[in-house]
Amino acid sequence: MPQVPFEIYRGDDRQFRFQTYLLDVPEDTPILTALLRIRDEIDPTLTLRYSCRQAICGSCAMRVNGKSRLACLTMVGPEFRRRGKLRVEPMANQPVLRDLVVDQDPFWQRYRAIRPYLIPDPARPMPVGQVNPMTPAQVDQFRETPRCIACASCYSACPAVAADPAFLGPMALAKLYRFVVDPRDGAYRERLAQVQNQSLWLCLRCNLCVEACPKDVRPAERIVDLKWMANQEIGAREEGSRHALAFMTNIREGGLLNETKLVRQTLGIWGLLSQIPKGLAMMRRGRSLSRHPPITDREQLDVLYRELDGPEDLQHRLRPPGRGVKGDAPSPSTPGNPPPPGGSS
Amino acid sequence: MRAGLEASRAGVDVGILSKLYPLRSHSCAAQGGINAALSPEDSVHDHVYDTVKGSDYLADQDAVEILCREAGPTIVEMEHFGTIFNRAPNGGLDRRAFGGATYSRTIFAADRTGLALLQALYEEIAQESRVRIYDEWEALKLVIGEGRARGVVALDRRTGKIDGFAAKAVIIATGPFGRVYQHTTNSYASTGDGCAIAYRAGALLKDMEFVQFHPTALPGSSILITEGARGEGGILKNAKGERFMERYAPHVKELASRDVVSRAIVTEVREGRGFPDGTCHLELMHLGREKIETKLQEIVGFCRNFAGIDPVTQPIPVYPAQHYMMGGIHTNPRTESSLPGLFAAGEAACVSVHGANRLGANSLLETLVFGKIAGANAAAQSRSGPSADFAVAEITAVEEEVHRLWDRREGESPAKLRQEMQVAMEQDVGMFRDPEGLSRAQRKIRELKDRFQTCYVEDKSTVYNVNLTDALELGHMLDLAEVIVAGALARKESRGAHVRQDFPRRDDAQWMKHTLAAYTPQGPALSYLPVTVTEYQPKERVY
Repeated sequence: MPQVPFEIYRGDDRQFRFQTYLLDVPEDTPILTALLRIRDEIDPTLTLRYSCRQAICGSCAMRVNGKSRLACLTMVGPEFRRRGKLRVEPMANQPVLRDLVVDQDPFWQRYRAIRPYLIPDPARPMPVGQVNPMTPAQVDQFRETPRCIACASCYSACPAVAADPAFLGPMALAKLYRFVVDPRDGAYRERLAQVQNQSLWLCLRCNLCVEACPKDVRPAERIVDLKWMANQEIGAREEGSRHALAFMTNIREGGLLNETKLVRQTLGIWGLLSQIPKGLAMMRRGRSLSRHPPITDREQLDVLYRELDGPEDLQHRLRPPGRGVKGDAPSPSTPGNPPPPGGSS
Repeated sequence: MRAGLEASRAGVDVGILSKLYPLRSHSCAAQGGINAALSPEDSVHDHVYDTVKGSDYLADQDAVEILCREAGPTIVEMEHFGTIFNRAPNGGLDRRAFGGATYSRTIFAADRTGLALLQALYEEIAQESRVRIYDEWEALKLVIGEGRARGVVALDRRTGKIDGFAAKAVIIATGPFGRVYQHTTNSYASTGDGCAIAYRAGALLKDMEFVQFHPTALPGSSILITEGARGEGGILKNAKGERFMERYAPHVKELASRDVVSRAIVTEVREGRGFPDGTCHLELMHLGREKIETKLQEIVGFCRNFAGIDPVTQPIPVYPAQHYMMGGIHTNPRTESSLPGLFAAGEAACVSVHGANRLGANSLLETLVFGKIAGANAAAQSRSGPSADFAVAEITAVEEEVHRLWDRREGESPAKLRQEMQVAMEQDVGMFRDPEGLSRAQRKIRELKDRFQTCYVEDKSTVYNVNLTDALELGHMLDLAEVIVAGALARKESRGAHVRQDFPRRDDAQWMKHTLAAYTPQGPALSYLPVTVTEYQPKERVY
């Protein structure tokens, strides 16, 4: 491979430039290794965070050709060939301290804001001297969230984080999901209530977090799960959740969106009235509300909704087992087939 | 963090300094699991025996008894803190086999057990109002006053500010220093800063010559392939297609202790039975896609991302790499070091529970068990004793020292010196040692220490200056490398991970004792300490 030009962000938020370093590197060199070689061989003043070099510590997240990536996990050759350049910048949505190092305090604050620890139900104390029973099926309920390494790639990639400081961000919400589905946790309702009326519905469902995540945690999918659970448990009380439900009932009823109904169901009757000027303005410009007749052949639609309502997947997601929905969780008092003792035997 | 949690719950104020964000600490890279004798056929007794045997009889048996006795309660506690362990169909904990263990006693969370435990602990400690975590502060000096540890002087990596942290007790839990070697599974941050500052302040180091080489690392990057891969049934083959471990450990084969398997791989390659790239192969293909992808998820990722191979269909090329330091700050089973007020736990410490060779999945256990003990004892000691205070002059002295390095206008780069150290340690202080090589390494380290006095930090920024911290860490590593070499040169026997080609046998009459090293300006001064034996008299190790 010929010499690769690395265009690297130097400086901080106030003053920065891109500095180009030429480096001879084999194709399969991780970008982190290349950056460390630049430090060792060309310019020791270049600064970045790094530690494990095996995608488990989460230190080296940065933007490579605009995408939030772990530098240790992104190889020079494929990336350079795909884009014809290698532009390396610090993560977005966080103040730049210097070069590729950002201030992660806001990110960690959001992580802590979801109370990332078990809040046991006083009515169900932890078994003394024993582990809580948990089936492999219950472990599966955590989905991919235990893989999260808090690298903040998703946080960097998220447009909702950029737009609204109230948004907790994909990582914190995926972490919240991890506690919501935990059969040992007793704060199911409180946790969902915490996000139902603020953070949850600020997610744009753009899926950029899924694309950015180096550990395949799929935060956006967990946010959708949380939305389902929150609507079920807390109810649709604010615009975002009501809008989602209105969409669903609208289509269920007529197979098409009824936009007048949609606005009323989302904003309420007063909200609908408040939108009248906007409606009139639209009509003046020749944009009218759709007036299609309802769809009569609803067979396919029913199939879709059966799928959504079906007990198989959705019920599973609405309430984690161990809360009496599916009843497949062993309780500590279940006689027979006891788990191995926690203490030494 | 386990120590901090315990101290906080005992009612004292705790400050945790970490040069990384705590979740980035190298414990996150521990893959395979954590041992506890929980199955009906297993017992604490067996766990103790396996650990002592694995240690080649250098472990202190009273300490090992604590380790194994506390294993069950530790697992339960971590589960109650929220750790998501893999489960058996009956709702109990799943277990896997690990090297050197009579029974399957390794509890695990896929192949990211360290990450799972670290997260649970970090999340548990988030609730503690008495704990304050100082992210990205790097300790540079342990302050001693009136013969006691009085706190540390540390550097705020974000601002370059140097400040003092006075304390009634100090616990060092800074992990390993594998970066003294060229090929190591350790993270870049594993530079032994805590061990080095304790050593310079007068604390004794113990058994530093015992360096574990993990049998299965990816060549080149030295990324670890967990022992769990063999625990789940993976086998090792040489280029002739032989399952060569049948010759070295006829009974347990791939699941012999790590020193035995590592030596077998190197021997196969040296005697011409390795693959052309100088490796042996770890085969998982026969385990099937489902088992590999569910129980060894991270390994699949490592192989695909860092070696370009798919372990479901292809063998994994492996070669040993430095992995673990059995040695560290000398402590007793109460985690007290040789300096009053100074405690140590985890890989930075040497209690010793691992002796001359650590068994897999005993290190996460050690960190938690002795971290908790350290926290409790340090808290108890903090309730009495002199108040937490030291002179500002201690801080200015460190500032001046750092500035002497930083203000220099020319000299060699720390990177160059570091690379020379790593090559010397790799070549001459590796798995097979001889007096010529060790002497050569000793001369080289001394030369590098001299050259370090004139090395040059080009980056003059105060903000996140890795060039500066690299240089300071190199100073730490050179001190520790010197102790490793001195211990290895003095120990005229082969025991566990320490193999002297001129003394190929274990010599219990002369050498069943711990090496202690004290700092002197001329280099380490060695002395020795008897091993605590309670139940198991040494005998020959056969796997």
